[in-house]
Amino acid sequence: MKREKQIPFRIGEATPRCDARTKVTGQERYAADYYGDHFFWAGVKRAGIPHGKLIKVHTEDAKKLKGVVAVLTSEDVPGSNRVGIIRGDQPVLADKKICYAGDPLALVIAENKETLQAALALITFDHEPLPGVFDVEEALRKDAPLVHEDSPGGNLLRLVSVETGKGASAFDECDVIVEGVFETPFQEHAYLETEAGWAYLDDSGQLVVVTTTQTPFRDRNEMAPALGIDVEKIRVIVPYLGGAFGGKDGITIQCLLGLSALHTGGVPVKMWWGREESFLASVKRLSARMRYRLGVKRDGTFHALECRAYFDTGAYAGLGETVMTLGLEHAGSAYRIPNVSIKGSCVYTNNAVGGPFRGFGVTQVTAAMERIVDMAAQKLSVDPLAIRRVNAVERGDKNCIGVTLTHSTGIKKCLAALSDHPLWREREGWKMKAGQFKKRGVGIACMAHAMGYPAVVPDFANAKIEFTGEGRFRIYAGIVDMGQGNASTYAHIAGALLGQEASAFELIQPDTERTLPSGSSSASRTTYVYGNALVIAVEDLKKKILDKALRLFSTAQAEELMLVPGGIRHRKDKKKVSLKEVAGLFDESERFYTAYFRSPAATEMLDRIYLGPHIIFSYGAHLAYVEIDTLTGCIEVTGYLAVTDAGNVINPQAYEQQIQGGIAQGIGFALSEDYKAANGHADTNSLATYIIPTAMDVPDMLSVAADNAEETGPFGMKGIGEISISGPVPAIANAVADACGIRIGRNPITVENIFRALWEQNDQERPR
Amino acid sequence: MKISFVLNGKKRTADVQPDMRVVDLLREHLHLTGTKEGCGSGECGACTILVDGESRLSCLMLAAQLEGKRITTIEGLSKGKRLHPVQEAFVESGAVQCGFCTPGMVMTAVDMLSRNPDPSRDEIREGISGNLCRCTGYQKIVDAIEAAAKDKSR
Amino acid sequence: MAREVLLPHTIDGLWEIIRSEPGARLYAGGTDLLVKLRPQAHLPSSSPGTLVCLDRIEELKGIHEEDGLVCIRACTTHSEIMRDPVIRRHFPVLTKALRLLGSPQVRNMGTIGGNICTASPAGDTLTPLYALGASVETRSCDSGRLMPLKSFILGPGKAALQEGEILYGIWITKDLDFNIHHFEKVGQRKALAIAIASMAALIKLSDEGVIEKIRLAWGSVAPTVLSSQTIEDALTGKPLTEDALRDVMPLVMDAVSPINDVRASAGYRRRVTANLLLRLLQYRNAGFEGLRIQEKIRSTNF
Repeated sequence: MKREKQIPFRIGEATPRCDARTKVTGQERYAADYYGDHFFWAGVKRAGIPHGKLIKVHTEDAKKLKGVVAVLTSEDVPGSNRVGIIRGDQPVLADKKICYAGDPLALVIAENKETLQAALALITFDHEPLPGVFDVEEALRKDAPLVHEDSPGGNLLRLVSVETGKGASAFDECDVIVEGVFETPFQEHAYLETEAGWAYLDDSGQLVVVTTTQTPFRDRNEMAPALGIDVEKIRVIVPYLGGAFGGKDGITIQCLLGLSALHTGGVPVKMWWGREESFLASVKRLSARMRYRLGVKRDGTFHALECRAYFDTGAYAGLGETVMTLGLEHAGSAYRIPNVSIKGSCVYTNNAVGGPFRGFGVTQVTAAMERIVDMAAQKLSVDPLAIRRVNAVERGDKNCIGVTLTHSTGIKKCLAALSDHPLWREREGWKMKAGQFKKRGVGIACMAHAMGYPAVVPDFANAKIEFTGEGRFRIYAGIVDMGQGNASTYAHIAGALLGQEASAFELIQPDTERTLPSGSSSASRTTYVYGNALVIAVEDLKKKILDKALRLFSTAQAEELMLVPGGIRHRKDKKKVSLKEVAGLFDESERFYTAYFRSPAATEMLDRIYLGPHIIFSYGAHLAYVEIDTLTGCIEVTGYLAVTDAGNVINPQAYEQQIQGGIAQGIGFALSEDYKAANGHADTNSLATYIIPTAMDVPDMLSVAADNAEETGPFGMKGIGEISISGPVPAIANAVADACGIRIGRNPITVENIFRALWEQNDQERPR
Repeated sequence: MKISFVLNGKKRTADVQPDMRVVDLLREHLHLTGTKEGCGSGECGACTILVDGESRLSCLMLAAQLEGKRITTIEGLSKGKRLHPVQEAFVESGAVQCGFCTPGMVMTAVDMLSRNPDPSRDEIREGISGNLCRCTGYQKIVDAIEAAAKDKSR
Repeated sequence: MAREVLLPHTIDGLWEIIRSEPGARLYAGGTDLLVKLRPQAHLPSSSPGTLVCLDRIEELKGIHEEDGLVCIRACTTHSEIMRDPVIRRHFPVLTKALRLLGSPQVRNMGTIGGNICTASPAGDTLTPLYALGASVETRSCDSGRLMPLKSFILGPGKAALQEGEILYGIWITKDLDFNIHHFEKVGQRKALAIAIASMAALIKLSDEGVIEKIRLAWGSVAPTVLSSQTIEDALTGKPLTEDALRDVMPLVMDAVSPINDVRASAGYRRRVTANLLLRLLQYRNAGFEGLRIQEKIRSTNF
């Protein structure tokens, strides 16, 4: 789809991204792409043991090495040496304890990479080993070793409970009850760009950090007390990220960079985590063990739900308790269930650190709920699509935690579109064509995903747009673009309102000195919240442009003028002036337009769940075609359909990008991403052993957008970033059950898992 | 050690340690940061360049091996403002999200299309199977390469 | 602490280096050695020492036919072998296996000699080469040896290269008179995967569907590639039917000695290896169907 001439942005039209050109030529510079004439390298020595009392770190030999600039330990951290947005329990450099194998013990700054590696190898430490705890339920036992001795709840970080209606006693009123235990493992983000950045102290004593982060403003607030620096003296600059998916939300490398920069006498210092270090140190999707019970009436309506969940947040709290809470809020997926008893324990262990990962905690519970729904359908001898249609929520219903859905609720439309689709209609014919040693099955899953922050956390953005002296527009993107294309969509929105095309816009990526606080790049909020603020700012700017332009036309009415690419034209007499001419009429003080937008939030039931409930949700219904090879257990997803309610579509190309990408990560989580760790040591610690899908492992995916506007969203859209990742695990698991009658409660469903299950099913001899 | 080679059509000489990895030579020594590193162990393909027209992993090549070779990096594909047809197709088809895998992916695609100018979608998937992408799910990359193949044949 | 990296252009140049620096480490594609030698945090920088890249020695590259045999020189890349019409015509089982090795870039760089000398139990070239009954030729500055591949691979990671010797070429007899050339690899995904189990099979099937001749080899399920005269004898003269194959499956399960590792358990490997035999049933109509499959391999552009 080549565009021959200057066409302005139009809402709803597939449009290439503004950043595509610089990325495809290799010109776009990521955090690791800066190499100055004179800079140092920094690196970290990590513990390698999961639990112990730290006695002493020996840095003397490393310090003596020629070319080593500094070797730092916790004693050299000037501030609190603690980060962690909720609990502040994670050290910049470990001081008293080692809580997981990735804990950083010493920071080395050296003149080159070879010296850095040599120095790191010379660092040793004395410790007293402590018994570790690696399973969530074992961690809750009275005699379990404590990960944090000063934690008020011991290894229980937080317990969250929601009861509605009659709670669990409503099971007495059910005709059919199904139950199951479901487990989801840690999942590695495996972004292609590992954590990287560089930092320096400028002449005025300001600490400048260029780095891979989803949270520049929040980072400053964490770095300041941790390092003992005034927050106003920290500047964080964020280029386009090479993927993040939640793994770069919060402090990863920033404090280490900042601390390094304090010791180089003004020389910039760079850090870039190798892949194995990223595997060791970065956060993972919290693993979960979930016990589900679903009670259904004979007519197929869901009547009671019990969910008892344990989420493993690993060594540090991070955002773990909010991950679990969002999960629990979605424990009943997209259905009406009048009686629920939902309880979740977020638990410390000496495993890897749990943190945000696309889907947050929703992917985990949806994996469970959507499988138990299929089990209920089977027990009732009801079609799995039909049972979902009966129970799917509509606007005005209460969701599974009893909060009324006051915003757009399109799950029924999604299911209707799925049921009309040829892929659903032709499924039986397809299944019958399975060849020798192949079994075919089809599975569906619904999902919901809340947009934005929980109710008591203000969810806002500050848009900023500049009308330059050249008559072009500079958008100061407030929210990091980690690959999802929100920056480009900001230009798309502004362009549609201003009648301009791509070359009229310059996008400034987040920089705490130039762009305005707009919250994190997370929670499926990045287009909605900033986009809404931008609409306000652009409308103000547009009005001003037209008012000023009047001086260049002999007419008196602004309504007779229209914005066209590069200029303003009179509707009737076609006279045109350039935007540059109009820009010349602006005083310097008139060039900038800002606007604040705060997303709607719940005002009732704030105590229903930790930090309050959400009120805007996106929805999806997925269909997976799966073929199993009974000789080897290999499972292939041969077809996939995702129907999504994410409101109106601003850019179909960007919309599909998000849906397809989320599905692919979901397929990896469903079939091959088998994070294996024993006693706090991961066996899958590289891309050779942690298996993410290649192009040969993902099918062509069909994406359909349900027609369902969200009135409060810019041009009627709502969150799209996370919704699709929660479909594949249950849809594929349900398809596997359809193919061979085997229900596996954990993922990934590896070749070996399914093979063993098939073989046990056939009652053959067990493996030796 | 002085190493002479042709880089993006121009003769170059680099005076570097012979065991410097080619990915580092390109990025650190020649300031061509278009070639990325995602793993350093040959698993992800982000460091893919063309050596005598053939796609290879620059994280597993040493500088000394460049002697006398013709190297093409992502920076050498476009001519001024004119993008290579594969690059153009990537832009138009939406094959670029975070963009970190993109340079390696494009180089692989250029090699593949030079040998197989009219690939099926399955052949495309096989052809890019050594380039991991975490953002796109590959579909629009396959679309782009398919479009580029058709474009070239016009 | 930089290492010297030498690139001899002739084999005599190589002998010179080996003579003067017996501790030098040789590599061709680098896809194994350079991964092992990469500096990683927490480990001491890999020891210095000379590296020798064999990539420029023309004499070590190429494929030629001689006296009813095909010779593949050791530093021929997997891609070159995969595309070679002689290999495609005579040894499609090798072509099939190479197509599943690593990834396109790894195939462009990696060599058959490197894969053999690395001697991994999961080496993707080894399984088909065992089935083809390949021999290896080694050479040193003043001598040469020829031996069956089976004798060259001593154990996991151990090849029978003596001091001062290199792997020079691989010899395979042409006109092996098989009409079924089969290879299957089981992995955690479809590319960039280390084999969990693999099987190469060469069968001469009569028009009546009887197995006149059969060679089988299994990879990743024993310290070295497994082949078994007993199993081959048990199938010779039998019809290619599910019953006949199921009859020998217990023999296969007994013959293998797989390990547990991060990719799969021993029990799974044992059972899957036997199951892979059943895949041969797709060739029951070898007269027509099997040849069609062969033609597809010969004409695929990759």
